[in-house]
Amino acid sequence: MEIELTINDESTTVAVESDDDLATVLRRNGYTGVKCGCDSGVCGASKVFVDGDVKMACGVDAQNVDGAEVETIEALGTQDDLHPIQEAFVDHFAVQCGFCIPGMIIEAKSLLATNPDPTEAEVRQAIDDNLCRCTGYQKPVEAILDAADRMRGDRSVAADGGSRIDSHRPDDTAYDGDSNE
Amino acid sequence: MSDDPNDPQTDGGTASKPTSEEPQEYEDHPLEWDEPANNNKAPGERKSVSQTAEKFDDRKLVTGQAKYTADYEERFPDLAHAAVVRSEVPHGRVTAIDTAEAEELDGVYAVLTPWSDDVPDAKYTSAGQSYPEPSPWDMNVLNEHVRYVGDPLAAVAAEDATTAAAAVDAIEVEYEEYDHVVDPEEAFDEDAPQLFGDDEVENKIVGHDYDRNRMSNIEGEIGDVDAALEREDAHVHETEWETIRQSHAQIEKHTSLAYTDEDDRKVLITSTQVPNHTRRQLAHLFDIPIRDIRVKKPRVGGGFGGKQAMVVEPIPLALSLAADRPVMYEASRDEEFYAMRSRHPMKVRARTAVTDDGTIEAIDLYALSNTGAYGSHGMTVAGNVGSKPMPLYSKVPNARFEADIVHTNTPQTGAMRGYGAPQGTLALEGHLDEVARDLDLDPIEFRRRHYMEVGDLDEIAGMMGGEGAERRIRSCGLDECIERGKEAIGWDDLEQPSEPHRHRGIGMALSAQGTGVAGDELGAAQIMMNEDGSFHLQVGGVDIGTGADTAFIQIAAEVLGCDEDDIIVKSSDTDNTPFDYGAYASSTTYISGMAVKKAAEDAKERILEWASRMLDESAENLETRDGEVYSEETGETVTLEDVGYESVYGHDDREHILGKGTHSTEESPPPFAAQFVDVTVDEQTGEFEVNQLVVAVDCGVAINPGMAEGQVEGANHMSFEMAVSEGITVDERGRAEVSDFDEYGLPSATETPPIESILVETHEPTGPFGAKSVAEVPTNTVPPALSNAIREAVGVRINEMPVTAEKIKTALDEK
Repeated sequence: MEIELTINDESTTVAVESDDDLATVLRRNGYTGVKCGCDSGVCGASKVFVDGDVKMACGVDAQNVDGAEVETIEALGTQDDLHPIQEAFVDHFAVQCGFCIPGMIIEAKSLLATNPDPTEAEVRQAIDDNLCRCTGYQKPVEAILDAADRMRGDRSVAADGGSRIDSHRPDDTAYDGDSNE
Repeated sequence: MSDDPNDPQTDGGTASKPTSEEPQEYEDHPLEWDEPANNNKAPGERKSVSQTAEKFDDRKLVTGQAKYTADYEERFPDLAHAAVVRSEVPHGRVTAIDTAEAEELDGVYAVLTPWSDDVPDAKYTSAGQSYPEPSPWDMNVLNEHVRYVGDPLAAVAAEDATTAAAAVDAIEVEYEEYDHVVDPEEAFDEDAPQLFGDDEVENKIVGHDYDRNRMSNIEGEIGDVDAALEREDAHVHETEWETIRQSHAQIEKHTSLAYTDEDDRKVLITSTQVPNHTRRQLAHLFDIPIRDIRVKKPRVGGGFGGKQAMVVEPIPLALSLAADRPVMYEASRDEEFYAMRSRHPMKVRARTAVTDDGTIEAIDLYALSNTGAYGSHGMTVAGNVGSKPMPLYSKVPNARFEADIVHTNTPQTGAMRGYGAPQGTLALEGHLDEVARDLDLDPIEFRRRHYMEVGDLDEIAGMMGGEGAERRIRSCGLDECIERGKEAIGWDDLEQPSEPHRHRGIGMALSAQGTGVAGDELGAAQIMMNEDGSFHLQVGGVDIGTGADTAFIQIAAEVLGCDEDDIIVKSSDTDNTPFDYGAYASSTTYISGMAVKKAAEDAKERILEWASRMLDESAENLETRDGEVYSEETGETVTLEDVGYESVYGHDDREHILGKGTHSTEESPPPFAAQFVDVTVDEQTGEFEVNQLVVAVDCGVAINPGMAEGQVEGANHMSFEMAVSEGITVDERGRAEVSDFDEYGLPSATETPPIESILVETHEPTGPFGAKSVAEVPTNTVPPALSNAIREAVGVRINEMPVTAEKIKTALDEK
């Protein structure tokens, strides 16, 4: 069958097999930023927004989301114009293998939309089902807290095209408030 | 293949050699190291090295643009998907496989059994190591004699994963089932079911005794341990320790895609740590010339040793040959737990002889390692149980290590971050803590009296031969690691909880590792200059998410005096990059990075030669900086771009500026770590809470401090997991009882305490710009430090991982 989806603001019609989950459908249509790490809807790597709510796409029956609006990691920043959360992840070395990171960034975006000034405990709670094997969560947590600061306009060190940045001692360059929101 | 224990071919030189009657000849390891002047720049003089340069692939990773193996699917419209039939019995012989129904399903392209033409019948090991592998060749791609629940015995390729799974379900297998054994102590008995007939293994390893399921026995000694243990003034202490079967749990599952390209060459796009070893092993199995196989590594979603093995690659290759189309095999998460690889579970006994005044006269470790159904990495991992932690106490005159490595009908084990050192470190650091308490000595001062320092000739590392061979210690930041760690954790001003039944304690542990495999590693790199002054760096080194490619860029940029952005790195594609042993043994920055440095220096020499002509100045007066070559004499400059154009388009004499570097060494300098764990224990329930982990690491010069800290924190998280999670438990038939992440218990963000990483930088003269390794040593230390912290808090000792509330409660009740 076919279903209608709005993926990252673009309306499209996609073919769906009876047992397809949403992650499979998105990946098949080129949104490979959606990752699959577990087969059982627990690792968080496949997180996307479905009608504004964070879902693990691998746990969503594709036939049940006909007409939905889906947002994937591809809708956030580009390499030349990163979303502040993405900037913070880069600046804090919060990315190692990177496989779980798109899902974690989606969850962080959801958190900061409803709680722009979270505590460390709230950040850890928010990403509690985003399993990461590389980082020990320390730098992702720091990155999300810093992203919150940046998005509130408190301060920013934007990743700036590959030049050196000391993420440990961010300077006080004012953040101009612009983002991809 | 010889099984003579004195034949160097049997151990490949990677880990342990048996003790020989003949005195061992060691390389001379002088204290003075002839370090090139440019290797020892002061921190302020370094422009790229030591800077927190942006990880070069991070923008791709955070935007979801990076391509992992499965993401290549869209490039192959006729791609088939593979699925594997795995043994349902722990031990037996496959007598029949009925594939008729599977073959008739629509969309099934190929069904393979052990008897199919396209399936190699050669023996091999999955271990991705040097050649010949210091692991026994005891496996087949598809096995008729199956030895664990999960052994691959048939495979299918179909138009999609659903059809492949349906085909697997339609295959009927008949077995003749044999007796099985899952307990390593029972397996190590002459009456136990025997997993291997003598004719079923090639490349046998020292000390093998398949009548007792022993894959290998290794032993090394310096001094006379028995004499020390019998001294009248010595107290003999003995403790026993047990570790879990830990999963690598890398979030990207084992994934591999095989096809034949337009030039008839066999291509593997695969999530691997060892492209060159994989190419060689595939050539051996399939009887194809090495030159006709290409192994290409895209972004890798975590390895941790689980991909230092050719775990899945032969299956898609065989299927692609049979189905005549590209085939991708992606293991399921269930398969990851029951049929991929895990850390060797071990029991380790520690003994010391300590005199009245608190001097350790002898250390004696014995390990019984459960290698599971096959022997991959079995001997070398067991060797490191002794040869990594014991040298930390290089001032102890008598030391011995022995290990028996036995087979059981349980899932396969393999390499895993730390590589035996976590098991040995638990035993040694837990033991020494207990001895210090017995003797009423300060645990840190007790260690400090015996641990290594700069200038020591470390003979303990040499007692096992091979890896970690006798070495000179030229950099050691242990004292500073301890001091800074103590300060960060609040060692001297610990506040107790207000409730009288809750107690807080801090435990500590030390660790040493190696950096690369002494005398058995190779990295190579080449660099070519583009006319715009940029460079293509081709390096065999393998970035599996660690940031290695970025470190290579920084090293090359430091030498060439250019911006990191002017270096384009191409790594880990056997067609297009030079040879490299792969990402393991903490070798990447040290070995491959030194090859990059040499290649960049080679290119720089040519650049200065050209600039010398262009500026009419002696090359000796020239230096590169900020994308220019400048003269120290005259201040004249010429840009790297000018040199690039002149060298290829100039009118006099033309040359494409190319640099090459290759590096191999007898050195393997240890990095060091001091771990501190802060725990609160409820003595009524045994429940405990880890408040904080602090780990200070001497990694030499950190090429990129931000990346190095990330490696330390991730390693410490893995070590924490080893201390508190059950790992992969197996049932009475040896089947993994874990099938998904919920059951495995990988600690989540709320279950992980804050981790403070401290880089204690020293200068290792044998490493590129002073670097040694960083990412393994913090994998070793949380289990002993947590055990020691609980001992400190409530006075009970937990020797068996994982630490649980039940174990603490039981120990408190028995106190």
